[in-house]
Amino acid sequence: MSPQGETSRQALVRMYHVSKSYLPGAYALRDVNLSIGKGELIFLTGPSGAGKTTLLRLLFAAEKPSEGSIIIGGRNIARLSDSAVPTLRRRIGVVFQDFKLLQRRTVEENVGLALAVRGEPPRQVRSRAFRMLKQVGLQHRRHHAPVSLSGGEQQRVAIARALVGEPELLLADEPTGNLDPELTLEIMDLIAAAAARGTTVVVATHDHSLVERYARRVLHLQAGELAEAGP
Amino acid sequence: MTSLWRALYFVRTAIDGLRSNPVTSAVAVGTIATTLVVMGVFGLALKQMSGIVDRVGQDLTVSAYLAHRLDDEAVRELATRVSTVEGVASVEVVTRDEALRRFEGAAGDRAGLLDGLVENPLPASLEIALASEERTEAGIARLVEAIEGLPGIDEIGHGQEWVDTYGRVLDGLRGVAAALGLVFALAALLIVSNTIRLAVYARRDEIEILALVGASRGFIGTPFLLEGVLQGTAGSLLALAVLWAGFELVTALLGATLAFLIGHGDPVFFDAPEIFAFVLAGAGLGCVGSLSAVGSAWRAA
Repeated sequence: MSPQGETSRQALVRMYHVSKSYLPGAYALRDVNLSIGKGELIFLTGPSGAGKTTLLRLLFAAEKPSEGSIIIGGRNIARLSDSAVPTLRRRIGVVFQDFKLLQRRTVEENVGLALAVRGEPPRQVRSRAFRMLKQVGLQHRRHHAPVSLSGGEQQRVAIARALVGEPELLLADEPTGNLDPELTLEIMDLIAAAAARGTTVVVATHDHSLVERYARRVLHLQAGELAEAGP
Repeated sequence: MTSLWRALYFVRTAIDGLRSNPVTSAVAVGTIATTLVVMGVFGLALKQMSGIVDRVGQDLTVSAYLAHRLDDEAVRELATRVSTVEGVASVEVVTRDEALRRFEGAAGDRAGLLDGLVENPLPASLEIALASEERTEAGIARLVEAIEGLPGIDEIGHGQEWVDTYGRVLDGLRGVAAALGLVFALAALLIVSNTIRLAVYARRDEIEILALVGASRGFIGTPFLLEGVLQGTAGSLLALAVLWAGFELVTALLGATLAFLIGHGDPVFFDAPEIFAFVLAGAGLGCVGSLSAVGSAWRAA
């Protein structure tokens, strides 16, 4: 079986017969095949426990598949050594439902973290973080602690941190799960804008209104198995 | 520039880590300090005892008793010959008259016992001082072997047995101190690594986020190692302060008794190289103790 969702674009991500099981015979993902083109925005849907988060964790190498191959940018990350994981993650931005911001650091420091770990000089880190915060409309809050920001603002900071390093791939795991409908659209617009600039984006969500509104390719997971849906 | 910035980042993060976890940091510092105080007390006791052996060693001479038949000229020749033996620092000739005078001096009130003697019964002797590196059982044995067959030497005597016994006791104490030191060091390592593990656990979110944005193992782990070094250094300085205060107190209260116990000379504290080694040991203890915690942190991330 060939990867589902073969598009006319050049593929950035390909998964071949990927399975993940934590206990013998109990699969979190089973025989997943898919292809995601460069600059594509796709939605990953499915009920809780369907395997959405597991699939994303495999993509940013938080876990290794039990079987199969995951090719990102021509490299099989299923065989990646632990020491090579940081290099891969610098090419991937990740956004979570719970933001995952460092509360002891300022907004600007949180955004700059993705650049600091690469060894970029502090001045450059600050300058790029500021530009990124400007893009998400939070430059005036750069010296604040994340805890003083609203949920929507914190998620914008998380998106800024995920995008500041200009990743090829942006993974968002229920990025609007904690937000009201108005903020949800605000956040999704930022994510869609990243895709428009050429970043490949995978958004895991169970919010069908979002899927309908943005009318992009949908990969539906059910009990660890993948079925392509619309549009 | 990047390296400099990284170094500054690591130092800043390590200090932030210590500030944000004052209780666990204080426990780690206290643990290291307590361990080093106990080891330091042993070290200081051994240092005083080593001093006694050194001083006894300085006074240690080998006496070669000479045959009565030797005249002064022959004695001088023999002394010259012995002084050329390897390991000999100096040779002093003690004539029969000098030996008698010394005996009378040592006998004190009972010197009158010698009045009945027609002739001085004491032999002339050579008092042979050894070079400091030769003041050992083996060194003395080599000297005895070299001179015992020389014509004119009747008997050889020295106080080596006492020194050897004392040296063996000292070696035994050093062994006990080393074993205890090892046990304490291992206990400290366990406690230090566990306290740092607590700090790591408290900051697991930070570690997870750093790993998420592509931080390397070194980037995540180095601040924790630095924290260990800082805690170890602080612990060793605290231990030194406690030891110094205790040393001053004990010497002030028991100065005369101590002077008697360790012979002539005052009790001495650690010298500069020993203090440096002490601080280094504390820093190393903290560093090694945090290594295992850092390994856990990385695996968790």
